Amino acid sequence: MDATTVIAIISCAIVLVGWLVLPHSATTVKPVVVSEEERAPVSVSA
Amino acid sequence: MKIDSGDTAWVLASAALVMLMTPALGFFYGGLVRRKNVLSTIMHSFFILCLISVQWVLWGYSLAFGPDKFHLIGGLEWIGLNNVGFTPNADYAPTIPHQAYMVFQMMFAVITPALISGAFAERQRFKAFVLFSLLWATFVYDPIAHWVWGAGGWLHNLGALDFAGGTVVHISSGVSALVAALVLGRRLGFGKEKVEPHDATMTILGACLLWFGWFGFNAGSAVTAGTLATSAFVVTNTATAMAALTWMTVSWWHKRQPSVLGAAAGAVAGLVAITPASGYVNVMGAIVIGFGAGIVCYAAIQLRERIHVDDALDVWAVHGIGGTWGALATGLFATVAINSSAANGLFYGNPKQVLIQLAAIGAAWGWAAVGTFVILKVVNIFVPLRVQEEEELLGLDISQHGEPAYAL
Repeated sequence: MDATTVIAIISCAIVLVGWLVLPHSATTVKPVVVSEEERAPVSVSA
Repeated sequence: MKIDSGDTAWVLASAALVMLMTPALGFFYGGLVRRKNVLSTIMHSFFILCLISVQWVLWGYSLAFGPDKFHLIGGLEWIGLNNVGFTPNADYAPTIPHQAYMVFQMMFAVITPALISGAFAERQRFKAFVLFSLLWATFVYDPIAHWVWGAGGWLHNLGALDFAGGTVVHISSGVSALVAALVLGRRLGFGKEKVEPHDATMTILGACLLWFGWFGFNAGSAVTAGTLATSAFVVTNTATAMAALTWMTVSWWHKRQPSVLGAAAGAVAGLVAITPASGYVNVMGAIVIGFGAGIVCYAAIQLRERIHVDDALDVWAVHGIGGTWGALATGLFATVAINSSAANGLFYGNPKQVLIQLAAIGAAWGWAAVGTFVILKVVNIFVPLRVQEEEELLGLDISQHGEPAYAL
């Protein structure tokens, strides 16, 4: 195995390990409260 | 010399692929600017496609590839494509018509000044842009192309390796972009108000089309349809993907989110970095080059932001630094196992190649920086480089072209 291959494998490993430790989501999303009014079905006439 | 139909077909198809890159660049840049400047930004690329297509057949090709004069510039013997016919030219491409090689190279000459337009987006006067582009192509691009690719060019003779334009295209345009950004100054409100891309989807589409066209850019530079073109195709795709993955990971770590625009910019950085190396490195070398591109180009953007230079669309960081890394990496990872007519790099026992690559990098940086500065100052004598404040606030689509991009 030559030096180029070794560096390439290390490069890939750094990226892969990075994904394991990075945040799951960009921002914390608050749960959306949906009112009863919004839950009511809306009739749409053609 | 006998014309090979397969080689000719591949080079002509590659020329068409590279042609597509310039409007693709317009879309890549167009999505990144505000909606009041999108048409003017796309127009920069479209206009240059027209302008340099004519400049190239009239005198550009002759200056870049014509009979050598003092190892610095091509002669005027090929002006108007005089002596550039269908008989192959043994110095450049012995198996295809000379005009096929000429038109392939034309598309490189077209996209290079178009790349610079990202630096002065949203504030340059169109008339000044026209004059600048014509002068820049003639006095900066054509000489550097001759040094590196022209038969008898001094960097060519020195043994500098630049398979598809890391030095000729990307360093020259990236460094010129930095100079242009410094000479024109910052946009109104730069650093005070946030300038958001008006259409990220347009930018992603532009990046995808650039990736597609880049196969012609790099694999077409083999000017044959064989093993070398295949290798260049494979390493181009590999380095691009690796750079996008790396950039996305770095931005995820730095900004706490995996940016979509970042992945697209990373792909372009990888395309840039593999360009000079694409005919000389194996697939492992391509992975390292892509990895390095994702890191150094991202870091260059952070530096550019810290020193408050308004290179609007980060041409210097992606093309100047990406091209420099690619040219240097060619001196590290080149191997004659891929291209027997080239040279080994440092990792294959030839440290001298790194020094040659550094000489080519330094020459391209120096000529591009000085040439661009002088041209901008000369143009400014005749036409103000920047639009007036009211025009900039109104937007260049209306103030320069009298057309809005969207009727929404």
